[in-house]
Amino acid sequence: MTVSAELSKDSMLKAYRIMKTIREFEERLHIDFGRGDIPGFVHLYAGEEASATGIMMHLNDNDKIASTHRGHGHCIAKGVDVIRMMKEIYGKKGGSCEGKGGSMHIADIDKGMMGANGILGAGAPLVCGAALASKFQNKGGVAICFVGDGASNQGTFLESLNLAAIWNLPAIFVVENNGYAESTSRDYATAVDSFVDRAAGFGLPGITVDGTDFFAVYEAAGEIIKRARNGGGPALLECKMVRFFGHFEGDAQTYRGAGEVEDIRENSDCIKKIRKAVTANNMLSESDLNSIDKEVNALIEKAVAEAKAAPLPTLADLLTDVYVKY
Amino acid sequence: MIKNTVGIIANPVSARDIRRIISNASNLQTSERVNIVMRLLSTLFSCNVNDVYMMPDKAGLTAMLLRSIKKEHAQSEGIKLYPDLHFVDLSVTSTVDDTYKAASLMVEAGVKVIFVLGGDGTHRAVVKELMKLKDLGKSIPAICGISTGTNNAFPQMLEPTVAALAVAQYVNEKISIEKALVKNKVIEVCVNDKVADIAIVDVVISKDMYVGSRAIWDAKKISEIYLTYADPTVIGFSSIGGLLEPIERFSIDGLALYMSEDSSKTSIVVKAPIAPGLLSDVPIEGHQKMVADVCYPIRIEKGIVALDGEREFSFNAGQKVSIRLRKNVFSTVNVNSCMQEIADKKLLCHTLV
Repeated sequence: MTVSAELSKDSMLKAYRIMKTIREFEERLHIDFGRGDIPGFVHLYAGEEASATGIMMHLNDNDKIASTHRGHGHCIAKGVDVIRMMKEIYGKKGGSCEGKGGSMHIADIDKGMMGANGILGAGAPLVCGAALASKFQNKGGVAICFVGDGASNQGTFLESLNLAAIWNLPAIFVVENNGYAESTSRDYATAVDSFVDRAAGFGLPGITVDGTDFFAVYEAAGEIIKRARNGGGPALLECKMVRFFGHFEGDAQTYRGAGEVEDIRENSDCIKKIRKAVTANNMLSESDLNSIDKEVNALIEKAVAEAKAAPLPTLADLLTDVYVKY
Repeated sequence: MIKNTVGIIANPVSARDIRRIISNASNLQTSERVNIVMRLLSTLFSCNVNDVYMMPDKAGLTAMLLRSIKKEHAQSEGIKLYPDLHFVDLSVTSTVDDTYKAASLMVEAGVKVIFVLGGDGTHRAVVKELMKLKDLGKSIPAICGISTGTNNAFPQMLEPTVAALAVAQYVNEKISIEKALVKNKVIEVCVNDKVADIAIVDVVISKDMYVGSRAIWDAKKISEIYLTYADPTVIGFSSIGGLLEPIERFSIDGLALYMSEDSSKTSIVVKAPIAPGLLSDVPIEGHQKMVADVCYPIRIEKGIVALDGEREFSFNAGQKVSIRLRKNVFSTVNVNSCMQEIADKKLLCHTLV
C-alpha cells in the first residue's frame, strides 16, 4: 500500500489547516513588519507551504528537523505553538525562546524542532548528528534538514551529504528550491543545477517534485521517510517552489521579472491548488475549508494580540538560557 | 526556409521522479544530457546540417551546454565544430508547456526531424503538440527519440552519434521517406465524447484519488490498461501485455487489459517489470485486442487517468470516459533502417583515387 492510500479525510483537513495557518501567519507578519511592529528581521515562507506540510505530515515529535532563516513554515508544520512563535517574533517573554531569539532562532526541542538558523547550510551537519543519535537509538527516528537552493552551495551541506552517505544515516536533505539565493538567480549561481545530480554524486538517491503540489510532496516524502526509517539511509528531496515575498521583508525585489509575483500568486499558489484538488474529487467540501479559514484567522488574531500584550524580556533575562544544563 | 534543419527538445528534468526511491531507477545527470546533445550537434555538423533549433530551459541544461560549446570553441583555433544553434523564442515556464511551445516553434521554423531526449512522457508531449498542428493542416516533422527517462518503452536506448548520422542522411535527402520513417499509433482518451488527451504507449486507469507524484507503481490500484503495443522487452505497462499477448509496435492493433479485484475472477497473473527493477504480480481478469477507431468505455466510475506512466487527471461519476486507438498518426525515424541504407548505399564511404 502506498502512502497515498493513508490520506484520510481527517489527514486532509489537518494538512489544509497547517498550510492555511502558515499562510495567514506570514501574511500577517508582512503587514505587521511593514508597520514597524516587529523588531529584527523576518524572511517569509508564504508560497512554500506545501513543502513543509507534505513532509511534516509524516513525522512525529521524536523526529528531528533543522530549519533555515525562512523557518516559520517548518516550525508551524512541526507543531510548534503558533502563539509562542508570534511572541518570539515580537521579541516578547513567553515566546518559544522567551523573546531572545526572534524569527531566525525559533526552536522547540520537545517538538523535534532543533531550530531555525541564521547561518546558511548550518542545519545539515546538525541533522547528521541527530540522525546518528536516531540510528543508535534504533527506534526508527529520522532527521530532516531544510536548505534553500542557495545554501545548498555551502560546504557544510555537501560535507553532510557525504557523511550521511558513508554512515548510512536516517537523514533526509530537503532542498527548497525557490529559484533565488537571496537575490541571485539559481541559473547564475549553481553550476550543477539539478540537486538530484548532486545527491547522485554522493551516492544518494534523489527526487525532484513540484513543491507547490501538496500531494506530490506528501507522496514523495512518504516514500523517502519510510525508506530512512527502515534503514534504507539518506536521500535528497528537491521541492521546486515559489516565494511570494522578497528574500527578507523590505527587499525591493528588483531582480524579479515584471508581473512575476502576480503570476505565481495566480498560477502557482499551493493553497489554491490543494483547495481545487480536494473539492474536485469530493474529498472535502468548500464549507469544510471555509470553516478552517475562519478558525485560522481567529488563531492568528489571538496570537498577535497576545504577542503585543506580552512583556519584553528584562535585563536579568540576558543571563538566562545561555548554557544547556546537563 | 532551410531544408535540412533539425530540432532538439531535451527534457532537463526527466528521470527525477519517485522511482529513484522505490525502485532504484537510473538518474541521468544534467552533464550527461549535455554530453548527449554535444554528440548530436558535432555529428550533425560533420554531416552538413548547419542549423539546429533547440528548446531553452532554466534547469541547467542550456546553461551547461552553452558553457561547453564556448569552452570547446575556445580551444579549436577558429575551426567551427558545431552547427548554428538557435534557441526557439519562448518564455521558459519549466513546465510541459515549454515542450509544447518549442515543438510548435520548431514546426514553424520548418525542421524535418525533432530529436526528443526524455522518457515516454516527454515524447508524448511532443506528439500531442504535433497532432494539434497536424489537425490545423500543418506539415509535421518526424521524431527521433533518445531515451533519457525512466520507463522508456517508446524511445530506444540509442547512441546519439548513430542517431544523428541516420537523421542527417535523411534530412539531406540521401535516404527516402519510405526507408527512413515509420508510422506510429496513439490512444485517445475521450471524456464525454471529446478527446481530452493522448498516450503513445499506455493508458492506465487507476483507483488513485489524486495525481500526486505522478508515477504509478502499485499494481493493486490499477483497474485497466490500454496499450498501443505490447512489448515484452520493455519496462512499464506495455510489458504486462507483452508478456501475455504481444502486439507489434507497428501493427494495426492495440491491446486492452482488465485487472481483477478479487481472486475468483483472476484468469491469469502476470509477473511484469512495471518499473525499473520492480516486478509486480498483476492479476488479469481478461484482455482483448483493440481495433483502431473503435471506442472502448472504461469500467470504473471515478479515479485517475495515467498516460504513458504518469498520472495526469482525475474523473468522477457522471463523466463518460472512453478509449480509442488511432493508427498512422505520426512518424518516427527508423534508425536501424537508415543505417542499413547508409551501409547499402555506401553513403559514408569515399573511394580514394
